Amino acid sequence: MPDQNAKPYVNHGMAMAISIWAIILISVLFFFKYQIPELASDRSGLDTLYYVILGITGAAFVLVQLVLGLYIWRFRHREGAVGSYWHESHKVEMIWTLGTAVVLIPIVFSGLALWNRVQAAPPDDAFVVEAVGAQFQWDFRYPGSDGEFGEFRPELYSLSNPLGIDPADSASADDFYRTNQLVLPVNRPIHIQLRSKDVQHAFFLPNFRVKQDLVPGMATSVTFTPIKVGEYEIACAELCGLGHYRMRAFLSVKSEADFQNWLSEQAAATAASVSP
Amino acid sequence: MSEGHDDHGHGKQSFIRTYLFSFDHKMIAKQYLTLAMSMALVGGLLAMLVRLQLGWPGTQWPLVEKLFPVGMASGVMTPEFYIMLFTMHGTIMVFFVLSLAPVSGFGNFLIPLQIGARDMAFPLLNMLSFWTVVPGAIIILISFLVEGGASASGWTANPPLSAIRSAIPGSGTGQTLWIVGMIFFVASFTMGGLNFVVTIFSLRTKGLSMMRLPLTTWAQFTVGVLGLLSFPALTAAVILLLFDRGLGTSFYLPKGIFIGETLFPHEGGAPLLWQHLFWFLGHPEVYIIMLPAMGFASDIIATFSRRPIFGYRAMVYAIISIGTLSFLVWGHHMFVSGMSPFLGSAFVLTTLAIAIPSAVKTFNWLATLWQARIRFTTPMLFALGIVSLFVTGGLTGVFLGTNATDIQLHDTYFVVAHFHFIMAGAGLFGALAAVYYWFPKMYGRFMSEGLGKVHFWLTFLAYYGTFFPMHYLGIAGMMRRIYDPNTYEYLKPLQPVNTFITICAFVLGSAQLIFVANYFWSMFKGKKCTESNPWQSNSLEWSTPVVPGHGNWEGDIPEVHRWPYDYNHPDDKADFTPQWKATPAKVSAGGVGARR
Repeated sequence: MPDQNAKPYVNHGMAMAISIWAIILISVLFFFKYQIPELASDRSGLDTLYYVILGITGAAFVLVQLVLGLYIWRFRHREGAVGSYWHESHKVEMIWTLGTAVVLIPIVFSGLALWNRVQAAPPDDAFVVEAVGAQFQWDFRYPGSDGEFGEFRPELYSLSNPLGIDPADSASADDFYRTNQLVLPVNRPIHIQLRSKDVQHAFFLPNFRVKQDLVPGMATSVTFTPIKVGEYEIACAELCGLGHYRMRAFLSVKSEADFQNWLSEQAAATAASVSP
Repeated sequence: MSEGHDDHGHGKQSFIRTYLFSFDHKMIAKQYLTLAMSMALVGGLLAMLVRLQLGWPGTQWPLVEKLFPVGMASGVMTPEFYIMLFTMHGTIMVFFVLSLAPVSGFGNFLIPLQIGARDMAFPLLNMLSFWTVVPGAIIILISFLVEGGASASGWTANPPLSAIRSAIPGSGTGQTLWIVGMIFFVASFTMGGLNFVVTIFSLRTKGLSMMRLPLTTWAQFTVGVLGLLSFPALTAAVILLLFDRGLGTSFYLPKGIFIGETLFPHEGGAPLLWQHLFWFLGHPEVYIIMLPAMGFASDIIATFSRRPIFGYRAMVYAIISIGTLSFLVWGHHMFVSGMSPFLGSAFVLTTLAIAIPSAVKTFNWLATLWQARIRFTTPMLFALGIVSLFVTGGLTGVFLGTNATDIQLHDTYFVVAHFHFIMAGAGLFGALAAVYYWFPKMYGRFMSEGLGKVHFWLTFLAYYGTFFPMHYLGIAGMMRRIYDPNTYEYLKPLQPVNTFITICAFVLGSAQLIFVANYFWSMFKGKKCTESNPWQSNSLEWSTPVVPGHGNWEGDIPEVHRWPYDYNHPDDKADFTPQWKATPAKVSAGGVGARR
């Protein structure tokens, strides 16, 4: 066997301890530099929970790695050092089993409460938009002045009618859609109904803490309230094909007045295009 | 020579029976390790190419073009090639490297040696299991060469992407081969799992009760059960997928799928069914990779700390509860998939429950190191690395297991960072630690300690350098599986991070070549091992000759008198008391013998 007790060229125990501590220091510092994108929705609770978990797990990370480094350094083999045979303690096992549970339980329950709030049915006054995902673009359909979407039927998908809207349905007459451009009013609950024409996509609004898969054959949706006027990016977060990376759209959050102006412009344009 | 097994054990055997179609669990283990290592080189190369694109998106690489004229058309990587690269990187690494090396490789090598058996319970099945996975691996490799290239639907192969040929270039023959390769893999793994469970249950030597098994064997036992129960779900899933692809069925395909100006005639299927079936395998699979690494870490840390493993019972219960819970957590991959939010909440509870036994293991390792006298051999360094990676990766699991915080982080690089620490990192470091540690028993020679240490330091530091910054990318909102993050304005500032990660990844990748060179060089030229128990360890494999022959022990199989962790026993002058030594009696449990 290699002489395990010979003086090594490198004190690996010390080197390991120092490396682990350096890793703690560097990694923690950078957590201050890289933040979640600026919040623009009412989902601040998710951010709070994120920071709480970051605090707790961050503390555990620092503490455990610190102790690991310390033990590696302190208990390296040394001539004449006396080891211990102590290896069993019901009490100690209970402390760290229950201790871990006690730390996790509040996280679990505050998380579940938040989840239920985020997943709750939309309020009646929510503004409803439909987002349709297809390789590799987003179409956003507005219900028009009647507040209702016309029926869609997959048999009607075509280049001139990409969303398959049924013209025979009277509710579809004032529907209009915009490709890769979503416009929303600020401070109003928004309910976005999601559907996919082909494969799975995920509707991801980094600034709004919103992410939801679009599943063919299935209706999914998200509800949230934008709280900041501005221009944002929409991303696809589920692998959907070779153009997945460029399935990008834009979200413009406008003041109520600007939004109403935009809506009436669109309505006028829709009416003009429909009437012969 | 007490057992009939020897009659085919010590006679001269032909080259073919010795090296190719061997029944000997040790040779089969070496075959698995060689296969896993070859596949790791391919999987690693794919990762390097992925990082090349992310480090410098859209840059021309004329030299790489010579190697991949289509994927790097005019020197720039194409998006379809990029997707193929990460799909196959995941598939190869998860199944053909991280499952094969620690489980099929070291499981086969160690189980009979650690339980005192002449071989696995079913040696023929064992050989068959290896020769079933080989065609699987070949098919997976060949799929790169077919028209449209290899599968490109991600390692999770979600339909419709994987079910409809026109959905993505790799969804043609490449995807079919992926499915067929997977069926071979699952068949092989099921045979292995059966063998593991039966062997450990029925072939333990006299005195070796289950609660005297080394934790490595406990882990392999649990892995065998997990494999047996979870892999059939994948077999079922891929066969249904094959039907949807070729026979016009609609298991995963609903009405109204419209791709390439074609409306598909399917009706009534559900893409989510696939995700449920896939993750029903996929999550136990994560523990199939991790549990053996945790076993290796426990055994190696005890040996080189010269300390009994702390809380042996708690460690065993932790392994069993992790194994059991691993069947109940698959839905945490699907919080935002469209699955019922109520179901999501149930999966939060089970997922965070699994954090408890994981934490118990970590604390027990720390307690083992306390008052230790650590010998810093290469395997020990890697084992300590496992503890550090496991802590880092485990803690980030809390963000992802809580469905509310998962909304933002799901499918971002935060997830990539998380599983590369906890599953891939533990699996890789586990396999490497195991190779360094058991190499003398395999080949009668030591691996070079000098090269081993260089390999460790480069790997450990580059591993953190590569994967830790991925947390920042994920927090900043960078999605997984995107070919060029710079498409998005908000991701542009992250390019320096990506470039840094790529440089670290190249160091990490190159460092593994040192290992491969060391492995093969040491096999023939390494320092000769002259003792049967070079690390002064306690478990039964070290009671065999320096290099055990077919049948493992020359005389009778030794009887076991104690657990495998009697280091520093207060009544023994030596600082280790192997399992096959009758005296002194084991100090009764319960914190006794407290400190010396």
